[in-house]
Amino acid sequence: MNAPVRNAPIAAAKLQHHVIYVSDLQRSKDFYTKLFDLQFSALNHPDSSAAMRLADMEMHFFSFGFYHHDICLVKHHKLKMDNGSMLHFSLVARDRAAFDAIRQRAKEVGVPTRDGRLIASAKPLPGGRAFCLQDPDRHWIEIIEEPSK
Amino acid sequence: MTAVSYVPPNVLPPLLQKFAPLLKRKWFRALVLVPPTLSRRRFSNKTEDYGVFKPSRIAHIAQVSIFVQDISRSHQWYEKLGGLRHSRTCEQEPHPFKEGWRIRCCYMSAAEHEECLVLVEERDPEGKVSVPSGMSFFHTAFELQGNRLEDVLAFAAQAKQAGFAPNYGPVRHNGEPPLGDGETGGNVACYFYDPDYNNVEFCAAMDTIENYRARYGDAKGSSRA
Repeated sequence: MNAPVRNAPIAAAKLQHHVIYVSDLQRSKDFYTKLFDLQFSALNHPDSSAAMRLADMEMHFFSFGFYHHDICLVKHHKLKMDNGSMLHFSLVARDRAAFDAIRQRAKEVGVPTRDGRLIASAKPLPGGRAFCLQDPDRHWIEIIEEPSK
Repeated sequence: MTAVSYVPPNVLPPLLQKFAPLLKRKWFRALVLVPPTLSRRRFSNKTEDYGVFKPSRIAHIAQVSIFVQDISRSHQWYEKLGGLRHSRTCEQEPHPFKEGWRIRCCYMSAAEHEECLVLVEERDPEGKVSVPSGMSFFHTAFELQGNRLEDVLAFAAQAKQAGFAPNYGPVRHNGEPPLGDGETGGNVACYFYDPDYNNVEFCAAMDTIENYRARYGDAKGSSRA
């Protein structure tokens, strides 16, 4: 298939999805679905995906409700994941009620939260709010309520 | 600044990168899956789409911060390959959760997404920069301007012209020839390692709630592979 001729260079438009390593798929799946209501949208299993079989990985896909996937959880069956290549990622709550519901759910399931943005130099959110928590693999997640919401 | 040469264990060796395009051939995928097919595990552990799309509590991803050894080197890479724009680089600040450690952050913006990527140099109390392990995330993905299959192909061509070689792709994550690799999502994608071997996907045309049923009806991934 040939690429079409185009004059202006093509650039990245936006961050689209993020795929993180986890050590226990079921534990992480429970966490992400319970806290954020993420929808399980696909499974790539090494017994039925050639790419996963070659890479010795299993991938579970989750949707925010529009794209096929927005967050994916990957278990590498040979290598051990760690927290040495990512500081955090931020998720924007759908609205004010969703932001409060996530914080409430975290409290109910005993996940500690910390108010404010994770990185001191991150842009302030006048009129908005933020808090941070860690998933079962200690990945830091920042939850944001955007001012316009 | 001199970066330490470190190749994370999950990085696809160059020789295997050359063979990766074979995943676009159905016969090759079938060959790889002969053992689970014969043992019938393939049918009990199906790779498939569920087509379940309900609203969640999350609207979108706002930001990803990743470790790099050299902000200047990485910022140029993202600028040259992905067309990301440098927004600002900050002075060193206290590490958000490691006492005595410090970080320096470089904020990069995409065309429609302000400060979506943060390149982070992490320093221990002695000032030594951490070497990224490659084992926190498998990849992070940017949607390309235009958001069409053709845009990914054009992006791959422009990347090649600029001297960047993908570690995988362009492919389409479904079973449709000629680009389909049998995976799920429908996105057309190409993947590149940044200077620290962080894996970055540039993609377009992912299936959505709007086009999933229009394209596939109620067929699950396993029945259209």
